[in-house]
Amino acid sequence: MTTPNFFEAYDEPSQPVIRIAQYRESLLRSPSRPPYKRPVTLTEITGPLNLARKLKTGMNDLSRVNNGARAMGQLIWVTGRLLDEDGMPVRGSVIELWQANAAGRYAHKADSQNPAPHDPNFLGSGRCLTDQEGRYAFLSIKPGAYPVPNHAARWWRPPHIHFSIFGEGFMSRLITQMYFPGEPLNAADLLLNAVPDEKGRERLVAKWIPMMQLERADAVGFEHDLVVRGHRATPMGF
Amino acid sequence: MVKKRTPTPSHTVGPFFPARFFGEGDYDLTFVDDPAKRAQGQKIYIGGNIYEAERVPRWNCMVEIWQPDAGGCFNHPNDPRHSHADPNFMGWGRRSSDDAGWYDFVTVKPGGYTDPLTGFRRAPHIDVAIMSSGLMRRLVTTLFFPDEPANAEDPVFNAIPEADVRERLILKPAKLEGAPADATAYRLDIVLQGDGETPFFVD
Ligand SMILES: [Fe+3]
Repeated sequence: MTTPNFFEAYDEPSQPVIRIAQYRESLLRSPSRPPYKRPVTLTEITGPLNLARKLKTGMNDLSRVNNGARAMGQLIWVTGRLLDEDGMPVRGSVIELWQANAAGRYAHKADSQNPAPHDPNFLGSGRCLTDQEGRYAFLSIKPGAYPVPNHAARWWRPPHIHFSIFGEGFMSRLITQMYFPGEPLNAADLLLNAVPDEKGRERLVAKWIPMMQLERADAVGFEHDLVVRGHRATPMGF
Repeated sequence: MVKKRTPTPSHTVGPFFPARFFGEGDYDLTFVDDPAKRAQGQKIYIGGNIYEAERVPRWNCMVEIWQPDAGGCFNHPNDPRHSHADPNFMGWGRRSSDDAGWYDFVTVKPGGYTDPLTGFRRAPHIDVAIMSSGLMRRLVTTLFFPDEPANAEDPVFNAIPEADVRERLILKPAKLEGAPADATAYRLDIVLQGDGETPFFVD
């Protein structure tokens, strides 16, 4: 694995705002004081490189549980590359993802108030390693939308998939969400629209892969590249 | 020529990070994947409560830590001393705060080191990242040890000008129920917002 050796601060408008007026948890959990600037040292530019020794991978097929019956819903194929800021592939990195089932319900105890049904054939979580091109791929079910009821503004979360990405340094650690193209609920989502920059929001929406370009005929294909912080260029004086 | 890309925007982890993603060994850094092969160094236990505003304990927070080994090395090519790193220590751990808002880790006391990029002397420290529903971006901070003369020189510790605020990042020796018998135990509560708020750093 080649490794980025320095990191820059985030470009602010490309990242979400921290406080969202109608998203109550963001007001209760965000610090009231601004963060302190600190120098970046070795601890921040290093990170775990062999995470597969701790985190079991090879969980790419979310469409079945233990090779059992297929989960309910539209089969989807989600693939893309994990890249750094130079566009170089990040290899052998752990990617975790999780999502609601086709009815919009998570297999999680915190989703207890949701009246939508569980699907016994769907756990909704997977984990894999990126390959030599930085590519990942998952077979899954198109997630349903779900309501966020306990807020000043009730709203529907559009269909989305959560991603947890490690990269090669503690500063490249990224938690994000992937949205689907052409979904009307995208326009009203408080979280997607917390990203001020339109190009930033576009980076969160997957691209549909035409059927003729997909090797399989049983799933709707989506391509979604993920970019983590980090450069391979050598900074002055290193 | 390589094309410059902008990092994907961060989002909240939300409330539904899968419980099955938290492995038994993820909060115990004293071994990697073989419990018979133990990391070198002094075993320590760190625990504390996480609070949101009004001192309400926050359950279902994802806490990750990252630290050098007992000798102050990282098993990572950016560390010029990486060939000296302890092969039985990865330096990474993850835990979800429980229903009472409690998080904890078993690890070894990290060594200090001289930073190859800046020449700064780093005191023993543990980097922490907090992810939770409501946090569109993760929060990052660094924990330090009590009675360490090197704290006085550490550039991250001293990035906080107020003495009483940076004091909140120093682990406190404590008797803690979950601590292994052979570990030195420390407590550090993390206050996301309000009185005694934990200082966080620009990520
Ligand atoms: Fe969600």
